[in-house]
Amino acid sequence: MPTPGQKRLLADVKSSLSRAIGEAQIEERDYRRTGCHLEVRLEGTGMRRAARCLKEKGFHLEMVTALDLIEAFELVYTYFNYQDQNLRVLVRVRLAREAKPYSVSEIFPSAIWLEREVYDFFGIRFKEHPNLTRIINPDDADYFPLLKTFGKTKFTAEIDDVLC
Amino acid sequence: MLTIKTIDDSNIHQRVYQLNLGPQHPSTHGVMHFILTLDGEVVVACDPHIGYSHRGHEKMAENRTYEQYLPNPTRMDYLSGLIFNYGYCQAVEKLCGIEVPKRAEYIRVITSELNRIASHMIGIMDFVMGLGAITPFVYGWDDREQILDLLEMVCGSRLTYSYGRFGGVRNDITQEFYDGTRRFIDRMRKRLKDYHDLITGNIIFIKRSENVGVLSKETALEYGVTGPTLRGSGVPYDVRKNEPYSAYPEFEFEIPTREEGDCLARYLVRMAELEQSLNIIEQALDRLPPGPIRADVPRFITPPPGEVYFSFESARGAVGFYIVSDGSRIPYRIKVRSPSFSNVFVMSKICPGHFLADVIAIFGSIDVTVPEIDR
Amino acid sequence: MSQLIQLWNTVYAFLGHDVTAGVIGLLILLAFIPLHVVFLVWFEMKVCAHIQLRPAFMEVGPHGILQNLADGIKMIGKDLITPKLADKFLYFIAPIVIFIPAFVGYIVIPFSPNLLIKDINVGVLLIFAFSSLTVLSVLMAGWSSNNKYSLIGAVRSVAQNVAYELPLLLSTMSVVIMTNSFSMREIIEAQSPVWFVVYQPVAFILFLISTTAENNRAPFDLVEAESELVSGFHTEYTGMRFGLFFLAEYTNMVIAASMATALFLGGWRGPFLPGIVWFFIKVYFLIFVVYWIRWTFPRIRFDQLMNFAWKVMIPVALLNLIVTAVVLKVL
Repeated sequence: MPTPGQKRLLADVKSSLSRAIGEAQIEERDYRRTGCHLEVRLEGTGMRRAARCLKEKGFHLEMVTALDLIEAFELVYTYFNYQDQNLRVLVRVRLAREAKPYSVSEIFPSAIWLEREVYDFFGIRFKEHPNLTRIINPDDADYFPLLKTFGKTKFTAEIDDVLC
Repeated sequence: MLTIKTIDDSNIHQRVYQLNLGPQHPSTHGVMHFILTLDGEVVVACDPHIGYSHRGHEKMAENRTYEQYLPNPTRMDYLSGLIFNYGYCQAVEKLCGIEVPKRAEYIRVITSELNRIASHMIGIMDFVMGLGAITPFVYGWDDREQILDLLEMVCGSRLTYSYGRFGGVRNDITQEFYDGTRRFIDRMRKRLKDYHDLITGNIIFIKRSENVGVLSKETALEYGVTGPTLRGSGVPYDVRKNEPYSAYPEFEFEIPTREEGDCLARYLVRMAELEQSLNIIEQALDRLPPGPIRADVPRFITPPPGEVYFSFESARGAVGFYIVSDGSRIPYRIKVRSPSFSNVFVMSKICPGHFLADVIAIFGSIDVTVPEIDR
Repeated sequence: MSQLIQLWNTVYAFLGHDVTAGVIGLLILLAFIPLHVVFLVWFEMKVCAHIQLRPAFMEVGPHGILQNLADGIKMIGKDLITPKLADKFLYFIAPIVIFIPAFVGYIVIPFSPNLLIKDINVGVLLIFAFSSLTVLSVLMAGWSSNNKYSLIGAVRSVAQNVAYELPLLLSTMSVVIMTNSFSMREIIEAQSPVWFVVYQPVAFILFLISTTAENNRAPFDLVEAESELVSGFHTEYTGMRFGLFFLAEYTNMVIAASMATALFLGGWRGPFLPGIVWFFIKVYFLIFVVYWIRWTFPRIRFDQLMNFAWKVMIPVALLNLIVTAVVLKVL
């Protein structure tokens, strides 16, 4: 159960996030089932405003990843409050396939490598990123491995070794 | 073909040159590649290059069922493989809402802490070997041998374990394991004193690691550093205490933290964590409850559609498993947030200004497992 | 047979007593020293293993005595690879230049009252002069390998060797002004009631530290630091060329230990046992101490090494020399 301190911080974050980004959908989540306290849904833009707002409240970037929903991408960022209240906020941005979101690396330097990894595996190019190059795959690779259309997945071909 | 951004150092009168601390090197434990720009012996820039051990674990997750993926997390960070194995099981249990019986939780905690001690033995001793003292390294492997023998009795393998199952563990612990662990705890406590005499009091060691690689609290938090590296910089963050999971709320242990943020602080944090792990194992062995070791879980699980982010503490820092399920037996996406990935990036910030010898010391004190970075 | 004796007489008459003695002595040494070095390597590995609580090699020969001989034979059979862009002449002569001067030092070391190839009246200086040539060879090896790691190792070695020459010489001078002679034989004969280590403990410790640094042994072995520089200046050398570097390192160590015994521990002096046995006991004891230190301590960083030499060792050595001189004048 969230402690009183956590509830206060949660309410504080909710209100300042809705002030910073009016169009976001902010919902509280059950921590025991999903692992995050707050979930923020954005369409297309707004990640940097959310990042700045969360940094003022003492949150730091924990993870950046992307989901390949076939007709769109969804970027997922998790922010965690390391020092006081142990709250986790999950911020998701739904992007079109060719969209170029802004990078949050000026606000959180850990995003430099985390976003490079997302570019390396999904092909999402970030704007204003200091060094958007391949990080894990070979430097001259011309493929993006984690797309659902790459390799053998259940969207491309039948998987033959699964006991379905 | 690898294209590396290099400076042109063919001019013999140029002062600054680049050195490959290269994928093959006696001190980069794993295949880690740094491109150091040096001025004489002082590092001007440090650029880590990763990706030499990429095996595609995240893509593999999209082609296997949840049960078939069980061996994979172990191989990501093979030094704390059992912790990763349990973490994956717990993430899926959280997603499905499975309740794990008490005895299984206690067994998980005991074996996790043994694995943590084994991993710290390598981490600490690799750091000391990077400084030049080879003898403590051999002593550390001796202790690790004892743990590997113990875990082999229960889990069946010595390095890459796949002992956890959804809902519990695979088989019960034996009386031999119980007695062996008790003996090991006593022996290890004496050995810790020996290690402190041999290493911590040594003036050469102190001079090599004090004020070397100072990582301030703000830099550490901004770069997403977790684990003993963060605790050595003054932030008492440990997932076992901040977001308790499994049976950890029932044990009393402390989180050792130090303020200085240099290599010596990180080393001392790890040595103190060894003692805390021994305390946890002792408490768990004292209070081990009887009961079933596995919940009643269908043979092929199908989690409901949704997502979960589960965070747990490996020997290197806070790991996160982000599992997205679409209702079928094959996960939609599994993302592993690996602590070494963020920890190694901070080296490009703290290495400049130090000597070449210090780069090895800093890299050893951050204690990175390279395959975990590349997955 | 009589022709051989005639040949021998002409050679002896032509060369004279000294040169013949020198040549025969060097030939004996040439046969004896490599075997001795192989034994020393075995000794080091056994000491290392027992400090690390493990039995070392036990298979080849009883307790592995023949293991290093087998290693030596294997090393002779290896391919001699030269890097393509290496400076061929320097690359070729660097191992030779490091190996040969090491032998010359053995001419003046008195193994026992009668076993001495030639007693030169500047014996101590001869050893120092020839052992300083190793710096040149290390620099040649590091530069000619066309490898950045080798170059870093060689550059470190030059600075380290130059820095530690001074405390070495100054601590030796403290002994020399006590005996008024550079000759090794006279220094040992002057230690008749009491060894010099009792009169000059500070100089003894300084000498030991300086020779450990001169020979690039731990904790001063950053020149060939395995964890940082792969292998330092001899990274690119294979087969017997590496074998020569290896032999030279151990030969230098034996010379340094022999000098320490002769200068401070009384050389071949000792009751009951013959002189040569005492000499070797003392030499092996000192070498054992050097091994012991190597396998216990971590490595010093380069700037700390230079600080230690210039700011601590040289002032202490100078002070020791001044105090010795004053005391000798007063008494």
